[in-house]
Amino acid sequence: MSIGRDGIAGLILLAISLFLLVKSFQLPSLPIVPVGPGFYPAIVLSFMAVASALLVLQDLVKRRPAAVAGAGDAPQRNYRLVVIAFAIVGAYVGLLPLLGFRLATALFVGALQAALDRPRSARQWVVLAAIALGTTVVSYFVFERYLLVLLPRGIWTGF
Amino acid sequence: MLDLLWNGLVNVAQWKYLVPLFAGTLIGVIGGSLPGVTITMTVIVVLPFTYGLDPLAGLAAMTGVYVGGSTGGLITCCLLGIPGSPASIATTFDGFPMARNGEPGRAIWLGVWASVWGGLLGALFLVFLTGPLAAIALEFGPWEYFSLFVLAMAMVAGLSESSLLKGLISTAIGLLITVVGHDPIGSVPRFTFGSQFIGDGFPFLPVLIGIFAFAQIMTDLEKLNSPREPAAESLVGVKLEHFSHLKVNLEIFRQPFLLGWATIVGLIIGILPAIGGSASSVMAYDQAKKFSRTPERFGTGHPEGIIASEASNNANVSGSLMTIMAFGIPGDAVTAVMLGAMTIHGIQSGPLFISQNPDIAYGIYAAYILAHPCMLLICFVLMPLMLRVTSVRMAVLAPVVLVLCVVGAYALNNTMHSVYVLLMFGVVGYVLVKLGFPLAPLILGLILGDQIEINLVRAIMTDANPWLFLTRPISGLLLLAAAGSVALAIWQHWRHQNRLAEEEPDF
Repeated sequence: MSIGRDGIAGLILLAISLFLLVKSFQLPSLPIVPVGPGFYPAIVLSFMAVASALLVLQDLVKRRPAAVAGAGDAPQRNYRLVVIAFAIVGAYVGLLPLLGFRLATALFVGALQAALDRPRSARQWVVLAAIALGTTVVSYFVFERYLLVLLPRGIWTGF
Repeated sequence: MLDLLWNGLVNVAQWKYLVPLFAGTLIGVIGGSLPGVTITMTVIVVLPFTYGLDPLAGLAAMTGVYVGGSTGGLITCCLLGIPGSPASIATTFDGFPMARNGEPGRAIWLGVWASVWGGLLGALFLVFLTGPLAAIALEFGPWEYFSLFVLAMAMVAGLSESSLLKGLISTAIGLLITVVGHDPIGSVPRFTFGSQFIGDGFPFLPVLIGIFAFAQIMTDLEKLNSPREPAAESLVGVKLEHFSHLKVNLEIFRQPFLLGWATIVGLIIGILPAIGGSASSVMAYDQAKKFSRTPERFGTGHPEGIIASEASNNANVSGSLMTIMAFGIPGDAVTAVMLGAMTIHGIQSGPLFISQNPDIAYGIYAAYILAHPCMLLICFVLMPLMLRVTSVRMAVLAPVVLVLCVVGAYALNNTMHSVYVLLMFGVVGYVLVKLGFPLAPLILGLILGDQIEINLVRAIMTDANPWLFLTRPISGLLLLAAAGSVALAIWQHWRHQNRLAEEEPDF
């Protein structure tokens, strides 16, 4: 009997729901109101804890197929690209208040495009830069000038 | 009622509403035709543009996206053999073979015209049935509302493709997200751990955008630059053959039963919460095949398959709009975003929505009706462009969509807080997808969480007897249906497992 991905996910969710369930019992009750603020969360968390425990059990009793020849035919997944993309988005969100919307957005669009499909010629670099600048300029004018949304200004750049 | 509808049509025909409606429809058609870009993602991209608009203008734009997106997907189906959006999935079965047989124009325009007629037939139901449904909903007390929401969640969790348990856990996660922050009755902070970041809870739209858009984009990026499967023969850039629009329309109207039944299937699926256009398209296709005199021709470029799928997915939009306007429950993820947009503008959807906001309600009906001629015009004028737009690269699309997601979150209250929430739930959404948890139940839990709690507490405050949830007839029936839905899902899962076990070779 071995634990699989579902079992581990179930265990994590079970731990979270039990921890929060205990916390929900510690919430203060209110005068007049027949049910306190912890009443509804306790129902949700109990439900989640039971379902998570069942997921763990289901995973433990599940028959696991042995590695089958030909399993390598499944489409390849490029997780490296996903990690890079998340890192670039994280950097963008971090830099937005520091560099301001215009600079951070141009850098972000350019960097993510380059990471996803690296330009191989000068022309492709020009197209990449044009898309980065175009996205920034169009979104800035539409939101700031037309829709009156004040986009972030940079603490470092004042821009 | 017809007076109000006429006023709505005249109102929406003004430039200040017609321009957003047309723009939304155009973006919807383009978004729908881009493989990997769903209608939900397109409506999320359009969302920040609607903040600064008049509420009806914003909702008209979103309705346009919804209608346009439901049709746009068929172009990709016919030219690439893959659905541009999940709602068009069944169009691929006959649209692509017909296009490959040398009739791409007939395939695409059969779909476009079937979408128009299915959508307009759906509009009849939308206009005439939403009011009576809302009147029924008005009779509901907190017990019935609570039970209705429980039924909606049970149905969605039960329809999860992966597993019922994961669907139920996903629902619970959605509900859990809504309890973080101050409780709705006494404003007591819950699960905030003294943090200012989550002190006010998580704003709905950044969570929704994060979970949906990131999960989808990142899943698409996984497949980027990987050795592709041998692609089916692509017809991108193909020149459409000469054909008669009159003949295409006659082809549709020679089968009034097919058109009517596909519309009704789409409408019913749309009314049921969070099932979505893909189910309506596949179900209508399946029904068309069962009722057809020539079922053996399905899958070889049979016009009936295209008509059923496309009429159904556009009628599905009207069903979803009915649910949101009569009950305040989103029919699918697109109407969930619309519900969020309504909240931003201070509009409460639900049974009182039509009587309290007749201008907006009939404006939405009018926008839905007018979106169809807009879509038709766009298809007539921009078809040559549409035939090429399907080849836009993900490397270009992803950064642009992500920028609009960030702006959409930021513009909610002009703080970075929402952007951080967006990123956080983007990671959560992607991880959940990778672990095989369906997102639709989570979103429904997220949307209904507050309402479930409020109605539960309100019911208990009115009468502490918990048996009332079962003994009040409508509430009891709804809870029974919820239990039945879960039981059916368990039975279907058990039957599927048994069938797999029987098919397994015994060595």
